[in-house]
Amino acid sequence: MSITNTGNLGPLILQSLAPAMLYVPTPTMNYITVCDKISMPANGGTTCRFMRPRALTPPTIQLGNSGIDPPAQIPQRDIIDAQMAFFGTGCIINEQVILQDQEGVLAWVSERLAVAMRQAEDLILRDYIVSAASEINAGGGSNGDNPTNLGVSDFSLVATTLDTNNAYKFMSGIEGMDRFGTGPVRSAYFMLTSTELQSDFDGLTGLGFLSQWNYPTNASALPAEYGSVYNIRILTSSEAPVARGASLKGNDVYYNTVLGKQAITHINQDGYSMNLIYRDPYYSGMLAQNATLAVKFAQAQAITQDTAIRNLLSTRLTNLGV
Amino acid sequence: MTEYSRMAKGSFTSTGAAQIINLPFVPDRVNLTNYTSYAAFAAHGIPWANWSSAMGQGFAAVGYVNTGPVLDTAVVISGGISTFQAGLMLQYGPTQQIIGITAANPAVVNVTAHGYSIGDTVIMQGLYQSATTGMPQIAGIPFTIEAVGDADHFTINWNASGSNYTALSASPTGALVKKVLYPFLYLPEDNVVWRITTGNTTTVGTTMYHNFEVGQEIAFRIPAAWGTTQLNSLPNPLIPGQPIYGYVTSITDNWTFVCNINSSAYTTFNVNQPVANVPGQTFPQVLSVGDINTGGNIITATSALYPPPQFPTSTNRVSTINGPAIRGAFVNNTSQGFIIGTGNAVFQTTADTSSHLVGANADVIYWQAFLDDITMP
Repeated sequence: MSITNTGNLGPLILQSLAPAMLYVPTPTMNYITVCDKISMPANGGTTCRFMRPRALTPPTIQLGNSGIDPPAQIPQRDIIDAQMAFFGTGCIINEQVILQDQEGVLAWVSERLAVAMRQAEDLILRDYIVSAASEINAGGGSNGDNPTNLGVSDFSLVATTLDTNNAYKFMSGIEGMDRFGTGPVRSAYFMLTSTELQSDFDGLTGLGFLSQWNYPTNASALPAEYGSVYNIRILTSSEAPVARGASLKGNDVYYNTVLGKQAITHINQDGYSMNLIYRDPYYSGMLAQNATLAVKFAQAQAITQDTAIRNLLSTRLTNLGV
Repeated sequence: MTEYSRMAKGSFTSTGAAQIINLPFVPDRVNLTNYTSYAAFAAHGIPWANWSSAMGQGFAAVGYVNTGPVLDTAVVISGGISTFQAGLMLQYGPTQQIIGITAANPAVVNVTAHGYSIGDTVIMQGLYQSATTGMPQIAGIPFTIEAVGDADHFTINWNASGSNYTALSASPTGALVKKVLYPFLYLPEDNVVWRITTGNTTTVGTTMYHNFEVGQEIAFRIPAAWGTTQLNSLPNPLIPGQPIYGYVTSITDNWTFVCNINSSAYTTFNVNQPVANVPGQTFPQVLSVGDINTGGNIITATSALYPPPQFPTSTNRVSTINGPAIRGAFVNNTSQGFIIGTGNAVFQTTADTSSHLVGANADVIYWQAFLDDITMP
């Protein structure tokens, strides 16, 4: 008896494309989330200018009975300038790819370009903050490095600094509820930090760290929110800045950006931000062979309240997984 | 040439130092013509050079004038043509062992064949001579090299002559240095302060290029241990809540500027920090918070009509690739392109240390750069 099997009657087509694309590992983009956002007008030149009035001297000296007015004050202001820059990238796709490939090439390339554009936006903000914001080295940890790993006193110090500078907090507090294992959350600044420090934060449980899962309600928690320590709510991302091997002892240094409202402003120009551009092969050479897909955007950024932002630099206490 | 390839050409007059060429693309092929070497045929000259990305970073195939002088062929195997993409921060070069650092003002670092140039920025780690002595106080601080004594020594802006500093010697374990590859992508940046001269005006020295312009509005962050805390922008005892800022009134050099704050009665700046205080110690800083300028860079004989921002802001200025901006604005300084190195011609395994790919000072060099559509294999 002969049995017909795939050895002598194999399928004509061996492969079948799975119905869904696999996900692309993509970091959480936190920096754009906490920025103020403004649009610079068209025909507005190259540089966006901010103006912040200075406080006037409070008149704490009584007028007396002389009938003479006190001298007038001269109002002053601070000016902050940021130059617009333009960015873009794209792909040239031969029509044979579009014609012959089974999957929707143009669709997923468009998606990837859009994500690349958003990620660039975030990375630019990240690196600008690393460069331009002032730093506090963590000293509350126990590893004897400079900076040390994060101790709860570091959170207290940086929040105290911002409070003393009259920075505005992002979040109002969450009142305690009668739910087992939860605790109230203070009104808070945001800390933008690395996922690599999450195990260090877990190690502070009971010492001041409250997991987002232990909030009375996590209705106001952001997707990237890991928890809070005192007056700081912690957003983590794998793309947070790390200076590898840059500490006193050669350990990784994390730039944990703690900031209040209006500390950083993201600027686009006349809605120029985020253009996805598709050009049909018709617009390429004489044989119209190649389509192009591209993205471009205009972006500037500025620290608009230097008193409301600090990079809290730290090392890490726990080992990393691989 | 096909439809999407990129080509660029240009020329420059060599200073003898590595030359950075900014382009709107990263080339995969570069050709060089040293016109001066063609015109004055002499030993050690490199009249032409070719590089392809397939050769690898830092290589080149060159025409070479030997000591005959006879024209020959040679290669450059380090310090040749290399490309760069300066788009992300916190990238570093390889670590190198530190042999020693002088406890002097300024400190001189000894590293065998360091390969650094003036203007390169480095950070160090370790720096303990014993468990309780050494110079860990300066670990983690970015320094833009101020002088290069020789192939094994370079100078950083730090006063290490104080009693709390012990010179490093005999290659202490863990004492390492590495180059910060792209320290100035966003300008002006936060800076570590290494000296403050108080007076009717205040003179400030920074460890990196400060990149400030005259008219820059600045704020200080001086921790208590460093002395001159009266410069700090907060707290303000007269108008509580209002930060106190200063303005840059003159630029002394790439590491030094003068601001308008009268610091005559302020506490002396103290750089002599004890080793025991190092863990968790925050460095004194000065940063830009704005400016009071209304115009861009001033035209020069060789500049564009409307020059873009240039950094550093005193000498050896290099234009950003963007358009004009208000002086003192926050600007993006990311870039890409290629570097013509100072590598030597190697003829039959022997390097001629008097020949340099980038030519000698005042050599006129023409370059062409390409990004090809098709590369085989």
